[in-house]
Amino acid sequence: MPIITLPYAYLETLVGTDRETILARIPMFGADIERIEEDHVDVEFFANRPDLYSTEGVARALRGFLDIETDLPVYEVAPSAIEFSVDPGLAGIRPYLGSAVIRNVHLDEDSIVSLMGLQEALHWAVGRGRKKVAIGIHDLARIAPPFRYIAADPKTSFVPLDFDREMTMTEILADHPKGRDYAHIVEPYPRYPLIVDAHDRALSFPPIINGELTRVTEATTDILLDTTGTDRRAVMTAVNIICTAFAETGATIESVHVDGEQMPSLAPSERTVSVAECRRLLGIDLAAADLAALLQRMRIGAVPDGTDRVRIRIPCYRADIMHDWDVFEDAAIAYGYDAIEPALPRTFTIGREHPVSRCMDLVRTLMVGLGFQEMMPFTLTNERVLFANMRRDADPATLRLMRPISEEQTVVRTTILPMLAEILQLNVHRELPMRLFAVGDVVQHATTHQHAAAVSMHPEADFSEIYAAADVLCRELGLASTIAESDDPAFIPGRRGDILVGDARFGVFGELHPGVLGAFELDQPTAALELDLRAVLQSPSRRDTP
Amino acid sequence: MGKQNTQTLTQTLTFNEKRLLIALNTKKEAGPGQLAEELATMEEAVIQYALSCAGKGLAAVDRAVAVAYRRTPEGETYAREGLPERQLLDSFERRIPMKELQQHPLARIGIGWMRKKGWVAIREGVVEKTGGAPPGEDEAALQDLTASEKGLGMLLKRGLVAEEESVAHTIRITPAGEALVAAGLDLSEEVGTLTREQLLSGEWKNLKLRRYSVATLPRKVFPGKIHPYQQLLGEMRRILLNMGFAEIYGDVVQSSFWNFDALFQPQDHPAREMQDTFFIDVRRACPEGWETVRDMHEAGGETSSTGWGGAWSRDIAEGCVLRTHTTGLTIKYLHDNPEPPVKAFSIGRAYRREAIDPTHTPEFEQLEGVVMDEGVTFRHLLGFLREFYRQMGFEDVRFRPGYFPYTEPSVEPEVWVDGLGWVELGGAGVFREEVTAANGLACPVLAWGLGISRLAMLRMNLKDLRLLYRSDVDWVREYPLSRAQATGGR
Repeated sequence: MPIITLPYAYLETLVGTDRETILARIPMFGADIERIEEDHVDVEFFANRPDLYSTEGVARALRGFLDIETDLPVYEVAPSAIEFSVDPGLAGIRPYLGSAVIRNVHLDEDSIVSLMGLQEALHWAVGRGRKKVAIGIHDLARIAPPFRYIAADPKTSFVPLDFDREMTMTEILADHPKGRDYAHIVEPYPRYPLIVDAHDRALSFPPIINGELTRVTEATTDILLDTTGTDRRAVMTAVNIICTAFAETGATIESVHVDGEQMPSLAPSERTVSVAECRRLLGIDLAAADLAALLQRMRIGAVPDGTDRVRIRIPCYRADIMHDWDVFEDAAIAYGYDAIEPALPRTFTIGREHPVSRCMDLVRTLMVGLGFQEMMPFTLTNERVLFANMRRDADPATLRLMRPISEEQTVVRTTILPMLAEILQLNVHRELPMRLFAVGDVVQHATTHQHAAAVSMHPEADFSEIYAAADVLCRELGLASTIAESDDPAFIPGRRGDILVGDARFGVFGELHPGVLGAFELDQPTAALELDLRAVLQSPSRRDTP
Repeated sequence: MGKQNTQTLTQTLTFNEKRLLIALNTKKEAGPGQLAEELATMEEAVIQYALSCAGKGLAAVDRAVAVAYRRTPEGETYAREGLPERQLLDSFERRIPMKELQQHPLARIGIGWMRKKGWVAIREGVVEKTGGAPPGEDEAALQDLTASEKGLGMLLKRGLVAEEESVAHTIRITPAGEALVAAGLDLSEEVGTLTREQLLSGEWKNLKLRRYSVATLPRKVFPGKIHPYQQLLGEMRRILLNMGFAEIYGDVVQSSFWNFDALFQPQDHPAREMQDTFFIDVRRACPEGWETVRDMHEAGGETSSTGWGGAWSRDIAEGCVLRTHTTGLTIKYLHDNPEPPVKAFSIGRAYRREAIDPTHTPEFEQLEGVVMDEGVTFRHLLGFLREFYRQMGFEDVRFRPGYFPYTEPSVEPEVWVDGLGWVELGGAGVFREEVTAANGLACPVLAWGLGISRLAMLRMNLKDLRLLYRSDVDWVREYPLSRAQATGGR
């Protein structure tokens, strides 16, 4: 989640109170203070509140929360004659365009830093790394309307930001740092998105880079905003958040005609919510007037309408409010989570263990009684450890990760014994005997079941010792098992046994083959066992098992 | 020495130690050999008794290390037959062709030494004596190891004589020991181990049982033991069972439908990208009634929600992942058990595509609980959270607004930890209506979750999470289970 830097002086000016008051209340507003510095504070805001990704937006919300200025902030939009057109050829590429004109802009260092930070955070949170939405801000004085958003030939060239020569769009993708970062978004298409003015001068190659022509500086007073993307709602959210943040600094907003549609409107959306439903959700006793007052402190316009209804107007920058309960959460925050007295309901239920957990706990009891120490190895591993080191053939039922994060962890374990051998390897210099066990999930054919495994490493470790342990498990777990000679290559021939229930093999034990010991760099005889707990749990429809 | 003191001291003496002191008292000072003969035992045993008496101030043991020399087996042979170079020199007259001399069994060692000692010169393949070859100091020393120090050194270098350290012990009695003997020592025999016969016959009443000293620490043994982390997990499981929750346990592999869509995670959410989640090449059909989930995503279904907009893809929902949380199990459990009241919990591994480092592992344990009933509210959620954390041993709990995609309102519980302050521990909220309604649930669902590895780090003071999964066996052996236990509960 984005971390927003709030300079105290700028914040205090915008909020209208001192930093101590602000810092004391921010945690209860729904944000985490990351760092408190000499001249600023870094605050992490949640992913659902992109309207708080600028100092201006935070100040607007805090003025309400701190009772300095409540109720809906109203933003005027003056009409302008500026026209913008969208090329139908963009339909399959990047079809949506949002735009606005922002005038009377007085940028200083604080507001430039804040608004650039806002743009970056929006690219991440709303724009999904510029794929869904990308934002361009241009110095309007340098260009002439009408503007056109077109699907351009990749050979079209212009001077991109931070460069001093013309490059084709193809060259930009290859050579410009931003081009390399975001090329994957446009590269699949034969034509690329481009915004040009009346004289065919390039303003922007969305979502990659702006032209050098429209660079915004401290001298800029009039701005053209473009947001382009693949999701209309997100494109308009970005316009609303940026326009209202500028408006908080005293700028005025003018509309743009995009193919005849005037935008932005910056008008609130309206809902009517039920006070009873709010009470049922929160468990707080509220009247309509109380709910309205709480919401006003969250900058939501709210007027009681009878005893059970409140008519509300939600500011255009609040993209997170989808459902009435989102409004009720705002009411709870305004009420103060610290002011809600926790209570226990009268719900009566009986605790119930899951059979799988019970079975694994029983195995733990038995193995501990036999003197084994429990380990809890990872379930992610690789085929070298699972099969090659164990001298076993690869199991075709092994579940592979499609994009593993390292060569060490490419599959989900099908057995647990190799994991214990790895732990022995890590602990090879520890005092002997080492008797270790583990119990837990394995996956085969994309289905999860449970195994138990154990190893005993010491100079006298042998078949008899592990046979006795396997016998204890079979007896105590109530298996109707028989033991047969095994041909598992992980063990020494003539010193290995299979645990059978009926004709099905559920386990194996014996002395690990010297080839296996060598593969795990173990230098002492090691006896081992593994038991598939389906032998105990097997039943086609276990209760409670999703 | 006071009488009381003498008596106590006498009690700590073994039968053999008393015998030693008595024998020593007449001689005052003796070697272990002499004493061993007298006590009819081994020298080693005598030294052991003496050291024990010395520990009580009753005797003193002086240890003198002496170096002795002796001929090696090879040296013994040469002492009888002469050094190889001497034997070789004596085997011919004035001169001999090299080839012929090389036939001699000692040629390989001897020729070099003859040249080194200047006894012969070799010209054009002929070995010729230079004249006198008087016996050297080494030869003298070989006969008598004390004859020449220089000669002894030469023999040591050639490996014909070896150095041996020998330790000579001298045992003396101290005045305290003398006083004890003078006071009289009871020499009736002591018994180390009780036998069945002694117990049955009643003879044990007359036996003198050897005393053990509690000051001697026992051998350290390590019992079979469950893992300290498992102890903590088990404790949390017990707390939830005690609070009346039913346990859920389920599959590691989940369809995107249950892991994300049923929980109203939008299909373009970053958590659903290959970057953050382990996808697998498995597909699972959406369950019957999937259309309500689709409608919820697209336009909010029958609720007051707007939905996410856009088109929901069944194809995306059928792709499978290693569960990124256990909440997918929970929502399926509720979907299958929609009749209130339901209280359920699960403790299981969740998977995130993260590289392993001290504070991140791609798999980790997650705990979560849900309460579904008519009339439960956000306030009740806070009540459950406070009670759960108190049971876990955290007396002070506070609540702050939070954000989680499938709950509204959401809350971040924080617990007070001395030395750390308020620590965020888990997340909670009321399931969004978009989640409950899409899964056919009519009652509110209170839900909370907790990454347990984080709690384990706090509780066990761990700096490296990897220790939980790739454990140092010594850590498991040494870590007291009582410290892994939650300390709360009333």
